[in-house]
Amino acid sequence: MRRLSTWLLLGPGVFWLGAFFAVPMLLVLAASVMPRGVYGGVEPGFTLEHYRRFLDPLYLHVLGRTVVWAGSATAACLLLGYPVAWVIARSRRHRQLLLLLIVLPFWTSFLVRTFAMIFLLRDTGLINSLLLGAGLIRAPLTLLYTPFAVLLGLVYGFLPFMVLPIYASLEKLDPALLEAAEGLGARPVARFFTVILPLSLPGVIAGSLLVFVPALGSFVTSDLLGGAKQVMIGNLVQNQFTTARNWPFGSAASFAVMALVLVAVGLSIRWRDRGADGEPAA
Amino acid sequence: MPIVEFLQVSKRFGRVTAVDAVSFAIQRGEFFSLLGPSGCGKTTTLRLLAGFEQPDAGEIRVAGASMRDTPPYERKLGMVFQSYALFPHLSVERNVAYGLERRRLPRAAIAAQVARALELVRLPTAEFAGRRPAQLSGGQRQRVALARALVLEPEILLLDEPLGAIDLQLRKAMQLELKQLNRALGITFVYVTHDQDEALSMSDRIAVMDRGRVAQLGTPAEIYESPRTAFVAGFIGESNLLPGPGGRGVVVRPERIELRTPGEPPAGWESLAGRVDEVIYLGERLRILVALADGGRVNATLPNQGQLTRPVGWARGDDVMVCWRAGDGRTLEDA
Repeated sequence: MRRLSTWLLLGPGVFWLGAFFAVPMLLVLAASVMPRGVYGGVEPGFTLEHYRRFLDPLYLHVLGRTVVWAGSATAACLLLGYPVAWVIARSRRHRQLLLLLIVLPFWTSFLVRTFAMIFLLRDTGLINSLLLGAGLIRAPLTLLYTPFAVLLGLVYGFLPFMVLPIYASLEKLDPALLEAAEGLGARPVARFFTVILPLSLPGVIAGSLLVFVPALGSFVTSDLLGGAKQVMIGNLVQNQFTTARNWPFGSAASFAVMALVLVAVGLSIRWRDRGADGEPAA
Repeated sequence: MPIVEFLQVSKRFGRVTAVDAVSFAIQRGEFFSLLGPSGCGKTTTLRLLAGFEQPDAGEIRVAGASMRDTPPYERKLGMVFQSYALFPHLSVERNVAYGLERRRLPRAAIAAQVARALELVRLPTAEFAGRRPAQLSGGQRQRVALARALVLEPEILLLDEPLGAIDLQLRKAMQLELKQLNRALGITFVYVTHDQDEALSMSDRIAVMDRGRVAQLGTPAEIYESPRTAFVAGFIGESNLLPGPGGRGVVVRPERIELRTPGEPPAGWESLAGRVDEVIYLGERLRILVALADGGRVNATLPNQGQLTRPVGWARGDDVMVCWRAGDGRTLEDA
């Protein structure tokens, strides 16, 4: 009976993941090692040519840029999001309202919000109009279609994914621990590095993964805010499947990204397990 | 000079006055208890002393110096929390070392002092140093919390219901150990508890708190023998509240009551007539409840000397005379 109910509970999920996650994944993996078809698609055969092609400096450069941007976006989200998570976790009266404000952007489509940023950043946009109007600058600043714009878009889009897991781990933090540390002579900075940060590390790691992984694969933000110059690996993959009609190469590129993600996840798990032991930080 | 002084200290939380113009002084080396029911302000009083709360009025002095502008991390008080508040991510050794690390002592000195502190609370270093708090029993956590506070050699140790979460057997043993630590180390203990037995058996002096005020302050014997208010009499030990002169209440402890066959009381004794309502066997004692003629009730506790099997023993329905020495009745100030 018990086994039957377990399977009834697991069954639909397992079927769904198998049919719509594992199978397409295997198809992409298969496509990445097959010759390219003349009119798109693939032809029978086996080749590692697409992976070799990905090692071309041109593509490695795109990959490197993507990693740097995703990493910068993660770092920026952490620096901006941690204090916000702390304030929400510590507030009593306004906690629900603040949490609502954090998830409020999700009520609008990501695409719409990214378009809105164009209106903010372009030469005749809100920021430049205000600065020109105030007489602080004479010519409009080039904000749109720059790495800065892409980073801004990534941080804006993924910040809630950083705030929420950190909030969840800070909220569980027993205030008596902070008082104990304070009573034992720990000043505010020491309290942060020896108690608060180590105990919120699981949230920091979860948040960082939730930002870094999707940022690594994102293409809408760089497409709209970065223009043609600021290509990320996501744009590359998208192009191969659409305009370039090179499915095998697109597949190989996406598997390369996935390998990178696996490395990031593996590293962060190791970091979490070691970080829990807590070398003296301050 | 007293080591701790509270001068008209008040603390409000919103509309609730948790501590209301409290004044007292604690002497160096004393085992001082703050005793009272939950919500009486005893924990807030302790937290004010620790510096986790700021008084709205009045002044707190430690060794003569005002604590007004001294943050907790500079007060050099040890604190043992009700929940122990051990750092879950650190080993027992690193928990105890925490305060020493903040003082940036050399590693070797830290290791030596940690080992000594663990020995003091009888936790073998070899066995426990590497464990995490989650791998310890309640009693062991209690000892680690104690070691963590004592390793800094504070002049004052604050304990907030430290034995509340420990089972009875261990609690009795820990009470004795705490008392012995207090004597052996010469550290002033400020001990918050709602357990009257604990306060009576360990303290040099007790401040009984009631609704944010100190209802009575004195030695355990003073408080037990001469309660000043009905609250103190009722909270500490068992008591009988009987009508006294001038309409004020008189408190007589159950063990000071004698039961006699109706007649004339001896000279210097007070008496009331009643009927035995219930005889309760408690092992080493017998509790006899007597219904008074005027509708009140008296609880008399007699030592178990085999009365149940002897003809002098009392039985339900017997007419009795409830007697006590006039000197054993305490006239209350408030009722």
